[in-house]
Amino acid sequence: EAGVSPPALPRSPQRLKAAVHYTVGCLCREVEEDKDVQFSKQSIAAIAEITFRQCGTAGLPGECFLVLCRHAKRTTVTTEDVKLLARRSNSLLKYITQKSEELASSNTEKKKKKSSAAKGERTEDQEADVTENEDSNMA
Amino acid sequence: MEERGAGGFRKDTVDRLLRLHFRDARTRVNADAQLLMAELLKVFVREAAARAARQAQAEDLEKVDTEQLEKVLPQLLLDF
Repeated sequence: EAGVSPPALPRSPQRLKAAVHYTVGCLCREVEEDKDVQFSKQSIAAIAEITFRQCGTAGLPGECFLVLCRHAKRTTVTTEDVKLLARRSNSLLKYITQKSEELASSNTEKKKKKSSAAKGERTEDQEADVTENEDSNMA
Repeated sequence: MEERGAGGFRKDTVDRLLRLHFRDARTRVNADAQLLMAELLKVFVREAAARAARQAQAEDLEKVDTEQLEKVLPQLLLDF
């Protein structure tokens, strides 16, 4: 399949697989230390393969995302869609929801800083350029 | 949330992984969803590894091989 991937994809499946393999290796090494065991190369490769497939049509998201998005008339997958994937396990759902909230609150922090700078713009000082208003930009 | 935690999937790797399987090239994944997906995959890998490790320990083995993984895989896929 090498070299036959559509031009839209920046990376070949092979290189993506290698990236997954690398991260899986890192994670397995953590578990090795944690549990005081050793993973054979084959088992790490197998986990990497399975993880790679989980992203495909047979696994976690794949066509599910497309169906969800089309139903909601969207073309962009959101965190709500990802959360749906975690619904089979209560603890997993709780964990992912928590992470999602952490993301949302860190985004709100960033937006607050941006919008207080913008509000500075809208006061009497109608400046042509966007400048940071240091007074209102306090967390 | 970091783009790559201590042993974690990179945001753009996750994005490309997902889009690899989208037949409709217009479907995209927003940044937060990518990060969340990376978390989900990290949990999946850790769970797979931990369960296989537990299986090896149950069998009194020091090394985890594909046999142990095969035994824990069905339940893992059901649980996920």
